[in-house]
Amino acid sequence: MSIASPRRTLFLVALCVAVACDAPLHGTVRERPAPAPPLVLTDAAGAPFDLATEQGKVVLIYFGYTHCPDVCPTVLSTWARARRQLGTKAAGVRFVFVSVDAGRDTPTVARAYAMQFDSSFVGLTGTEEALGRIKRDWGFPAYPEGDPRTPDYGVVHPASTYVVDRRGRLLLLYSPGVTVEDMASDLRRLL
Amino acid sequence: MLALTACDRAAAGVASSALSVRAAWARSADSGATTAVYFVLENGSGVSDTLSGVSSGSAVSATMHMSMQQGRMMQMAPVTSLPVPAEDSVSFQPLGAHVMLNGLTRALVDGDTVLVTLHFVSGRAVEVRAGVRNP
Repeated sequence: MSIASPRRTLFLVALCVAVACDAPLHGTVRERPAPAPPLVLTDAAGAPFDLATEQGKVVLIYFGYTHCPDVCPTVLSTWARARRQLGTKAAGVRFVFVSVDAGRDTPTVARAYAMQFDSSFVGLTGTEEALGRIKRDWGFPAYPEGDPRTPDYGVVHPASTYVVDRRGRLLLLYSPGVTVEDMASDLRRLL
Repeated sequence: MLALTACDRAAAGVASSALSVRAAWARSADSGATTAVYFVLENGSGVSDTLSGVSSGSAVSATMHMSMQQGRMMQMAPVTSLPVPAEDSVSFQPLGAHVMLNGLTRALVDGDTVLVTLHFVSGRAVEVRAGVRNP
């Protein structure tokens, strides 16, 4: 049996760190990340939220709705657990939930919903006009499915979490099934 | 609830005639809100059945849905019936099939239990006792 020398151990640790740093990000990485589209809304306190002013932080964005029983809470629960894994580094990440259901959600409802998962989460929505602008700029449709006159209609919404890097570039998309560990690992690298 | 395989049942001498539910849980939510209930439904009998509806006294309505990703978009399809083959199981799980409780008549908080009844074409009914949590 051989005993590793301190120098050899140090080399192996350095190698492991280097390999970890070079490991690919999870999710769908954009090879040529472009600046994120504009996202400007008014929060429940009447203050503006402008994605452009968040540079220097990593921003996660999910477009969903508060009556969403399954996918949206699963995604936000994953966010909350990943945030807890970041410890003090979590201060460098903004988690932003945007309801695209102007028919039922208000800024107050969206804020309360997001904060159920973590008190640091931002919850936003807007008028049909404001959300229409966002849908156009971000390139997705979002619309009611079923009869919107009934209280339990669903809303078709983007599946992915959008990740904007510290330089304001749309870098990464996560599917709803991304694991907490993969997300936390990526966020540590992006910070 | 203890889940027994068909072999376990035979070895233990347990009659294999029941529909049963295990690993049931519901996500915590405010009164008036919407949430989902998840579980594994097992048909230990030799006869297939079909889940044809759900009900709950804790919500204005209870319905079954399937979350589905279509391209870049997420949507839910209503499920009106779901076959449960003999000696088989069906999973209700996040990002898949789920029972949607719409308009909760009370807040569901961690540690609570919420009751949902599953109704089958055969006339049988199975009560689900789902523990509430926010994972």
